[in-house]
Amino acid sequence: MSGQTNQKISRRQFFFVIIQTQIGVGILALPFDLHDKVKQDGWISLLIAGVVIQLLLFLLWWLAKRFPSKDYFQIQEYVLSRWLGKVTSFLYVLYFCSVGILIVLIYGRLISIWVLPNTPFWVLAFMMVFICLYMVCCSLLVIARLYTMFAALLIIMVIFIFYSAKDSKFMYIFPIGEAGLTNIIAGIDMGILSFLGFIVALVLYSKTEGTAKEKLVTIQVAQAFVFTFYLAIVLVTFTFFSTQEMALVPEPVLYMLKSYEFPIVARIDLFFISTWIVFVATSLSTYLLMSALGLTNIFQSLPTKWATIGVAVIIFITASYMGYDISKLNNFNTYVKKGGYIFSIGLPLMVLIFSFFRKSSAKEGTSS
Amino acid sequence: MGFFRKFFQGEQLQDRKIADDQQEPQQPSTKNLSRNIDYLLNEFKYTDDLKIRVLKKGDAALLYFEAMTDQEKVQQMIFNPLEIGKVDHIYDIPNAKETTNLEECIRSLLRGHAIYMEDGHERVTMFNVTSVFNRSVEEPANEKVVRGAHDGFVENLMININLVRKRIEHRDLTVKFFKVGKKTNTNVAILFMDGIVNPELVQKVEKRIQAVHTDKVQSPGFMEEFIEDSPISPFPQMLNSERPDRIVASIMEGRVALFTEGSPTAIIAPSTFFMFYQSPDDYNTRWYAGTFIRLIRFASFLIAVGLPAFYISVVSFHFEVIPHDLVTPIKSSINEIAYPPILEALIMVVIIELIREAGIRLPSPVGQTIGIVGGLVIGDAVVRAGLVSNIMVIVVALTAIASFVVPSNELSMTLRMLTFPLIFLAGTLGFVGLIFGFLLIAVHLTKLESFGTPYFSPVAPLRIKDLKDTFIRLPIFTMKQRPKGPQPVSTTAVEEGAREWKKDERSNQSKNK
Repeated sequence: MSGQTNQKISRRQFFFVIIQTQIGVGILALPFDLHDKVKQDGWISLLIAGVVIQLLLFLLWWLAKRFPSKDYFQIQEYVLSRWLGKVTSFLYVLYFCSVGILIVLIYGRLISIWVLPNTPFWVLAFMMVFICLYMVCCSLLVIARLYTMFAALLIIMVIFIFYSAKDSKFMYIFPIGEAGLTNIIAGIDMGILSFLGFIVALVLYSKTEGTAKEKLVTIQVAQAFVFTFYLAIVLVTFTFFSTQEMALVPEPVLYMLKSYEFPIVARIDLFFISTWIVFVATSLSTYLLMSALGLTNIFQSLPTKWATIGVAVIIFITASYMGYDISKLNNFNTYVKKGGYIFSIGLPLMVLIFSFFRKSSAKEGTSS
Repeated sequence: MGFFRKFFQGEQLQDRKIADDQQEPQQPSTKNLSRNIDYLLNEFKYTDDLKIRVLKKGDAALLYFEAMTDQEKVQQMIFNPLEIGKVDHIYDIPNAKETTNLEECIRSLLRGHAIYMEDGHERVTMFNVTSVFNRSVEEPANEKVVRGAHDGFVENLMININLVRKRIEHRDLTVKFFKVGKKTNTNVAILFMDGIVNPELVQKVEKRIQAVHTDKVQSPGFMEEFIEDSPISPFPQMLNSERPDRIVASIMEGRVALFTEGSPTAIIAPSTFFMFYQSPDDYNTRWYAGTFIRLIRFASFLIAVGLPAFYISVVSFHFEVIPHDLVTPIKSSINEIAYPPILEALIMVVIIELIREAGIRLPSPVGQTIGIVGGLVIGDAVVRAGLVSNIMVIVVALTAIASFVVPSNELSMTLRMLTFPLIFLAGTLGFVGLIFGFLLIAVHLTKLESFGTPYFSPVAPLRIKDLKDTFIRLPIFTMKQRPKGPQPVSTTAVEEGAREWKKDERSNQSKNK
């Protein structure tokens, strides 16, 4: 179906692509990380971070709106001149690859801790990368359809989380503001990092149907949805565990679910982590897709298929090389997180500023 | 309009033929009878069943394949009119057809016609005296329904088309014939509703059928493999059915049905995954019951594909998932077994498949015996011998039953095949493997397309309106639009106000008060 590869995704699909990219590996450890920095006030940091991201997304949308027929890599080339644009595009590909590697590493580590302690890392990594390659090696439309379908699993996760809300004690988040303003602001950092997948909204903007305004609504609603989901997780876990307990549970969501037993099944944390694998796969697939997209933009003659396979192989080999090594993972994690600020916030804003000096291509865009 | 122009311009009207045979070779007949007969005999390689009846003391001959013709018809159509004296000459018999092309004679002889030739004349007369053996239009044994029509397609293409035409009395129902198979010359027909079906779809189907170059086409299964999108996929991409009501429903949704001569099975293009889970029964019961049965069928899909794999991953990796009270009974039942659960499951699944396959080929009383011996005796003995745990027997038996719930035999087969890789994945990686297996199936289903229609629609791509007739079945008057899958040209299936009478009655009642 040659006609299909160029088809645009609908706004509903765009919504789910954003959600599925953002909700990923992070959700298991997010409450712990927030708590680590800000104690019981972590949710305030998350709240502030959410608002900041909503504003940021407005700026990104502004940038994308100025060049409606170009994808993000093409915008860069246009705004920053050809060669500089290609260099930054390549850096982006590297960044997306590293995020992919990080996703595989964290996923492998958690599966090893919670489910399969004796399985070698490369087996888990291979399964994950292979399934994502199979997902991505097709059209964007198929990926969007898949993400929309997998959103049904979100309902299961929400049910699990809200079920445990029945045992929450709101005592635990008091006193509010004990951590102090400086700590709360420092915690915003953690909050922003958990939302970093939002860059996909910018990259896939031109491949979506609809007017600029409609797309803005879609992006903002998707971000608000993810934000609400995170906030719910954080609040439920914060009120489930006391401040002292939180320090002992690196994956609070799983520990929380572990404590329940139903008449039919026990250990629903295992079911939760199984569902979570699907969300990890969707996040990784998006990063794979974006890297391949970047590569084909740099090397025009490279077929998408080989670009995707190449990126997947790189992710698999690098991730397998690092394996379960926790110190390497932590180092890598810090670099990627720093990179996140540059690539998701710094560079796009810079391109936006530079774009004012270049003529907007909105005129040519109106025709398409 | 061309038809009328030709008519008024006085051109000779031609018989319309089933398939276009203009490219067929031509061989003009001669005035010499024996040379004509020699040519035919030579072309038929002097086969012994070509009967030549010499008439008029050697001046004329009637040729036909003895095995293909009905002797009574020969008598009735050719000799009776002569004897009664209605006509003076064989040429004057009204239902005869004439030609001067010997190649055409060959084709009509093969169809079971008789040809009459006379010395000194070039023209050859052909009579349709084919003998036809048809079974009655009985309900297909593998697609029985409780309520609804109880007729089914037969091996004769014309009867099958008749069954469809009787159900759709509309001028838009279009039939197109093709000759496929270089040696077998099988008639293939496609049926569709012009004005509902997407013309692009018809073109696609036609193009694919015309591209089939092969010696023989035995059944729709042959055609299916030639024209389906993805032959590697384990999933059937075209729905097989022997039920006229099912085929008619699909045609009315803007799909194309394909029939082949000599087979009672019709195939539908494009088909979606969820069509395999629909049965005409659903629409003949109350919609609550229809919905309930649908849900049971989908549950059966999950059981058939995933239950053994789930059980294996629980007992070999995640024993902690089992609640406290159940741990002891399950543990005690699998404790004594020498084999690992994955081997147990494989043994049992293979045994079940053996029993099923053995039962199909045997005459029914013996088949039942095999079922009882296999199912009860082996099942019991295998547990007592300590080879397989009794819970595994329950699991595998349930899986086998669930796989037969699917109304389509092809998909049922696919489900049972898919059990094996999932068992391996679950046996090696537990829940993680199971999830990856299901993920792989889901991605594959979403990627698959049948004649340009996404195979997993209306779930992926999601179309909420079409879900009314997917997992559930809402009342028919709520399904106002045709399913979007085959992209029909006309979308309205049920017009507005189909239940307006209710409002009228209500307002009448209030007036009466």
